[in-house]
Amino acid sequence: MLKKISINKISELAAALMGKGLLLAPVKENSGYNFAEIKNPNQVDLDFHNTIASPKAAFFPHKEDFIKYETGKPIGAASVIGLSLPPTFLFGVRPCDVKSFGIMDIHFNASGIIDPYWKQRREVTTIFGYAFDLEKPAETEEFYQTLGIGAADPEGSDVFMIKKGDDLLLDSVTAKGEKLLAELKNFAEGKVTDKKYYDEYIKKGREYKTRSMCLEPEAITKKLEDLFHNTDFWMGVSSACLSCGICTFVCPTCYCFDICDDTLFGQGTRRRVWDACMFTDFTLEASGHNPRTHVYQRLRQKVCHKYSFHVRKYGVISCVGCGRCTKHCPVNIDIYSIIEDAMKA
Amino acid sequence: MTDFKQIENNLKKEAKRLLEAGEVTVVLAYGRGYDEKHSMPFAAKTSADVEKLVFNEYCNFNMARYLMRYPCGTKIAIAAKAADSRAIVQLIQEEKVRREDLIILGIPAYGMKNQKTDEVVDSKTTCGLYNPPLYNILLGEEVHGQPVVSPYEVLAEYEAMDKEARWAFWKKEFDKCIRCYACRKACPMCYCDPCFIDQSKPRWADKAPQSPGNMMYHLTRFHHLAGRCIDCGECSRACPVDIPLYLFHKKVAKECEEMFGQAAGMKLEDKPVLVDFRVEDSDKILE
Amino acid sequence: MSFKPKILGIACNWCTYTGADLAGTTRLHYPQNLRVVRVMCSSRINPSFIFRAFQLGADGVLVGGCHPGDCHYNTGNLYARRRLAVTKKILEFAGLEPGRFRVEWISASEGNKFAEVVEEFTAQIKELGPQQKLKIDELREKA
Repeated sequence: MLKKISINKISELAAALMGKGLLLAPVKENSGYNFAEIKNPNQVDLDFHNTIASPKAAFFPHKEDFIKYETGKPIGAASVIGLSLPPTFLFGVRPCDVKSFGIMDIHFNASGIIDPYWKQRREVTTIFGYAFDLEKPAETEEFYQTLGIGAADPEGSDVFMIKKGDDLLLDSVTAKGEKLLAELKNFAEGKVTDKKYYDEYIKKGREYKTRSMCLEPEAITKKLEDLFHNTDFWMGVSSACLSCGICTFVCPTCYCFDICDDTLFGQGTRRRVWDACMFTDFTLEASGHNPRTHVYQRLRQKVCHKYSFHVRKYGVISCVGCGRCTKHCPVNIDIYSIIEDAMKA
Repeated sequence: MTDFKQIENNLKKEAKRLLEAGEVTVVLAYGRGYDEKHSMPFAAKTSADVEKLVFNEYCNFNMARYLMRYPCGTKIAIAAKAADSRAIVQLIQEEKVRREDLIILGIPAYGMKNQKTDEVVDSKTTCGLYNPPLYNILLGEEVHGQPVVSPYEVLAEYEAMDKEARWAFWKKEFDKCIRCYACRKACPMCYCDPCFIDQSKPRWADKAPQSPGNMMYHLTRFHHLAGRCIDCGECSRACPVDIPLYLFHKKVAKECEEMFGQAAGMKLEDKPVLVDFRVEDSDKILE
Repeated sequence: MSFKPKILGIACNWCTYTGADLAGTTRLHYPQNLRVVRVMCSSRINPSFIFRAFQLGADGVLVGGCHPGDCHYNTGNLYARRRLAVTKKILEFAGLEPGRFRVEWISASEGNKFAEVVEEFTAQIKELGPQQKLKIDELREKA
């Protein structure tokens, strides 16, 4: 079902969604846009290129409390913190970020131990994908084309949105999206010409230019495996790296976390907090030994994990080319250039 | 405006000479990043590497950050703008690097720009000095005749604030913190291993990005940098959520300067103010 | 219920702590809101102790050391003076009431000065009311 809404009336759509549950959408802050809970429908603003932080926090919050306990009490006295989630609408996610949810699903929701928190959040959430504006050029950091992701790929979204002049066209991608759009009776359905425009836009999105190179997952995996012990190469690409955690925190596909116990006056909380492989103490063992003491080892881990180990284990590259790591790196380390150099090395 | 091209040429020339003569094993300067606008810190080790050196208005990084990556005794040439040079002076004072191991290639620069915002970097966010206080070779002409604005002028607005408003301001800013620790990693003076925030015994703060831990981390970091911060503004530039850390650092630097009569990183013979004392220090400073 | 401030006292072993002892043995009265922690020297005080104390519920922090020049370790309190002055400025610029943190030099023989300072400081904290800014949320709910 295709719906057509004037962009000026976006707040009406926002209000309708807020009436159904929780709405998360990009909000302008002084440093840029970020996903946040919408309190006032007028806050919704689609005039953004992409957000600073990726939308992964909607399913995998920076901090998630698991257990409340009291010291000195038996284990049975501890209580598990459950989730009671309202229907959630994640509004305005760019296609490359939508792709990241599928990659994260591999770790949290596919095989082995299924993460109940991630799973529940995924289940209650309806994703509104939003195509990049094809009229405007891509930012220099982006390279999703390299990874075969178009600027208007609806896969992964429940509802997909594109901009047509001053209007917004919304089409359902999944049954969940279809049902939701059917419920939004106040909004007019699109015409046949709109549908045609929508289909063409998606096709055109495939040709949208970002930085791109020919990248065969198998070839890069092999290449990085061969390069693994080439210390000179890794020292070279990491010579500027400060080993801070920005790249992993803004990354849509980084999922490392730490479990911490926070106890105060006998009352404790066990929680999950994001961690970053770029931190020195990430691999610090209880014995005091640290297998990755050098910056180059940590950067190598990050790059190889995304482009090599992940491919070996799960068959896909764990990167969507959103370019956030490059954009926010204080010293302009560019993962795309590293891959390019690795292919040439 | 500084002639950036000329400085780049001089930098290449000196780097080549020093590396070929074997006077240094590494030249810490700037290299090309993924495009013209985005340069990055670069360590040139051979004369072939020298061709990759660049210098433009976006080369804001504080190169002193990288000095301690090399074992003591490594001969290093380092490109140093005013702030970098101050950081080097401070590191020498703290005996983290040795003067005799360094060849400082001073860069007098005016009109540096922030690559994110394209705004000119001036005394609002940094110390605003144009000329490096310490160098061996100067790569351009000293900047004269530019207005010298006090780096503390920007503080007036915040000092005049009511304390409740100031608390609300800082609380809001620190609540944004995502604890990526880019501020401490970009800081040339933050070299503790381990940093107090990573310690588990005692654990000073929670690891989660929430108010008490963020407050603890930032307030303690300001304290650790008291009298040592050379006001390069790198912490705030690195911050992905734009917390104006430079304001707090400036305030602490200003107080230290007023109380102890010494600015950080200006003279080699100084001692950092908090590892020093005067018998005649007044008790008034505690009021 | 009337406000009973929680005040953390950090006292140097050689002067202020002994001074507090003297105040006790001479049976001087002073408010019981002060909880004293003994350290070997005022320069032992890590500024994080003070920040953490405020977070964990202190309404005020009082630091006591030897008079400058009288330090058992000769110069400890001279370093502490500079350091604690910076701590004070930081708390102030963060927006905390400056009156909540105080440094006093109290010698071993100044039992009555100790009692007076505690009296005065407690009265001041009472006037300022509970410290709510740095206090962590868990403690705030209980209050």
